Amino acid sequence: MLKALFPTLARFRLAVQLIMLALTVYGSVVVGHYAAEKISGALPALSCAYDMQNSAYCVLIPTQHQFHHRIGEGIVRAQQVTFQIVIPFLMTVLSFFAFFVVIGKAFCGWVCPLGTIQELVARIGRRFGFGLRRFVPGDLGAVGRVRPVKWLLLLALVFLLPLLAGLGVASHSLGNPYCDICPSRLATTLLTGNTEQLALRTNDGIAFALGAIGDALFGFLLVAALAVRQPFCRICPLLAWNSLFQRLSPLRLVKTPHEACAKCGVCSQACPLDIAEIAQAHGRKAFHEDCTLCGRCAEYCPQDGVIQLKWGPWALFASGREYYKRRVKAELPDGSVKPVRFAAREHA
Amino acid sequence: MKTALLTLAALAAFEAAAQAPAAPPAAAGRYAKSQDWTAYPLLLPALGGGRGERLAVRLGPRNLHAAALDVFAADGSPEQRHRQVPVGEDGNAAVAPVAPAKGNYTWVVAREEDATHVTVASTVAYFSNPGKAPTALLREPRHELEIVPERLPREHANYRESEKWGFLVRFNGAPLANQVLKLDTDNGSRGRFLTDAEGRAVVLFPRDFRPAAESRGHGHDHGPPRARFVLAAELDAADKHYLTAFNYSYAPDADRDRSLAWGAFFGVLGMAGALPLLRRRKPFKDGGQIDA
Ligand code: SF4
Ligand code: SF4
Repeated sequence: MLKALFPTLARFRLAVQLIMLALTVYGSVVVGHYAAEKISGALPALSCAYDMQNSAYCVLIPTQHQFHHRIGEGIVRAQQVTFQIVIPFLMTVLSFFAFFVVIGKAFCGWVCPLGTIQELVARIGRRFGFGLRRFVPGDLGAVGRVRPVKWLLLLALVFLLPLLAGLGVASHSLGNPYCDICPSRLATTLLTGNTEQLALRTNDGIAFALGAIGDALFGFLLVAALAVRQPFCRICPLLAWNSLFQRLSPLRLVKTPHEACAKCGVCSQACPLDIAEIAQAHGRKAFHEDCTLCGRCAEYCPQDGVIQLKWGPWALFASGREYYKRRVKAELPDGSVKPVRFAAREHA
Repeated sequence: MKTALLTLAALAAFEAAAQAPAAPPAAAGRYAKSQDWTAYPLLLPALGGGRGERLAVRLGPRNLHAAALDVFAADGSPEQRHRQVPVGEDGNAAVAPVAPAKGNYTWVVAREEDATHVTVASTVAYFSNPGKAPTALLREPRHELEIVPERLPREHANYRESEKWGFLVRFNGAPLANQVLKLDTDNGSRGRFLTDAEGRAVVLFPRDFRPAAESRGHGHDHGPPRARFVLAAELDAADKHYLTAFNYSYAPDADRDRSLAWGAFFGVLGMAGALPLLRRRKPFKDGGQIDA
C-alpha cells in the first residue's frame, strides 16, 4: 500500500513537502484562528509571521527581535540581564533546536515552504527543457564562491544589524532586516492572495530600499529556479543557522568510501545544492554544511549502501543498484525527465 | 493646525461626556489621569509600555478610580488565573503573565462602584510567550455589563481602519440586544453601533489616520503606528447606572504608505535579471558529465 503510494523516496518527500507547504502557508485554516499560534511553537522556521493565515513563527524573527530589543536595548539599559535577555533568547534557540534535534536539516529539504516552491518551479523548468545551470567550474563557477554568502547574511542581517539597531547605532528600520528581504515572506503571503508584503513602504527610505531588494531577489529567484536548482537555499541564512546544529541531530547523511566514486560522481549531479563533496569525500566531510537532507544523492548512487540517510542507528534509506535503475528510468540525476513520446504502445 | 485638531478632539470628547452623564469627571483624583480624546474609562499602558511584552506591562486606569486591577489569564492554575494587582503611586499597575513561559492574551479590568454607579474599564494585554487561546477567557462573564471582542487580532496582526470586527455585549452573562455601543478613537472619530438579537455589534473601524501616519506611535517601534479606541455601553438597571468600556488599539489600513506598483516593478526587474540564466545550454549527457 505504502509502496504503491510512494514508489520512490522522492515521491514520499514531495508528499511531505506539499503537506508542510499547506500547513506553513494556510495553517490557521486547519487549526483555527488562535490555535495557529500554538502549532507555530512546533514549527519554528519559515512559518512566516507576516502571513496571517499560517501558524506564524519563524526562528529568524525572534532572533532578530531579540538582538534588536533584548540584547541590543538590554545592553543599553544594562539591567535584569538573565531574565530579560538570556532566557528569552535561549528559549528561542532551544525551541528551534528541539525541532532540529528531531528532524535536523531535513527541515530544508522536507519542510521549508520556499524550498518546496523552488523545487516546483524547477520541475516546470525541466519539463519545458530549460537547460540546467550548475555551480561547477565551466558553468556558473565553483560552488565554493557562493557558500560564504549565507554566513554573511546570517551575521549581518540576522545578528549584527538588529543588534546595532537595538544599541541605537543603526536606524530602527533595520530592526528585522532579514525579514525585509526574505523571499519566503513574499512567497507565503502571495500564496494567501495578500499583496501587502510585495508593496513597498514609501514613507521610509530604508524600508523602501530593503523591500525593493527583497522584491527583486524574489523575482530573480523565481525565474532563476527554472534553470538553477534551489537558487535561494545556497545563500539562505537559515541553512547556515541549521548547519550549526547539524552534527548534533541524530538525523544525518552517512557516506562510506567506495572505489567506484573516483570515476562516478552521479550523486553530486543529483544534488540540488551541487555539493561535490558527496562524491569526492566520505564520512563527516560528505555531510556538508549545505546539505538539505533531501536524499537525492542516496537515491542516485548505484552502489549498495554507500550513501544512507540515518536517524541514530537506523538507516531510513540506503542507496542500491536496483533502486537506482528504476529511478533513472523516470528521471535523470539532474532532474530532467525523459521527453514524452507519442508512439504506439507495443503489445506483447 | 494641530491645536485646532486637538481643540476639535477635546470638543468632541466634551460632547461625548455630555451625552454620557455617568462618565466620572476626568482628572479628579490620584489615579485618574484624563485623556483628551475620550471621557470613557480606559486602561492604558504607562509611557514606554507596549504590546507583545514578555515580562510585564504597566497599565493604569484613566477616567475612573480603581485601587487595583483584576487580571485574568487564559492559562495557569486557578489561583494563578485571577489576580489582583494594586495600582501604585504612579497610577499604574504591573500586569505580568502567570508564569515566565506562559503568556498570550490576558484580560485586565478596573472597576469603580458606589451605591448608584458601576463603572468598568477593560482591555487585553498580550504577552508574546506561548499560552492558551483566549476563546474561553472571552466567554466567561465577570461583570454585570460587559463588552468583549469576538476575536482578538493575533500577534503581529491588528484591528485595522476600514475593517469590521464583531463585539459582544452581555448583561449578567446574557447577550444584550439592541444595545448602543459607542466608539471613540484617539484620532478623533466617533461612532455608534447597535447590537443584534445575539448581543453582537459589528464595529467598523473608521479610516481616520492622518496621512503622515506618525500619529502617536504606541507599541513597539516596528509595525504600523497604532491609535487607541474605546467602545462603551451604558445601561440603567435595578436603580444602578452601568458604564462599561473596552479599549485597545487599531492600526492604519495596510495599503497606506505602500506602493504595490513599485513592488511589482522591482519584482519584474529581478525576474529580468535572471533571464540570462535561461539561455539554453547543451543538456547533460545521459547520466553523465556536463559539457563545459
Ligand atoms: S548531499 Fe545529498 S541529501 Fe544533501 S542536499 Fe545533496 S543530494 Fe540532498
Ligand atoms: S553516486 Fe555513489 S558511487 Fe557514485 S560517487 Fe556518489 S557515492 Fe560514489
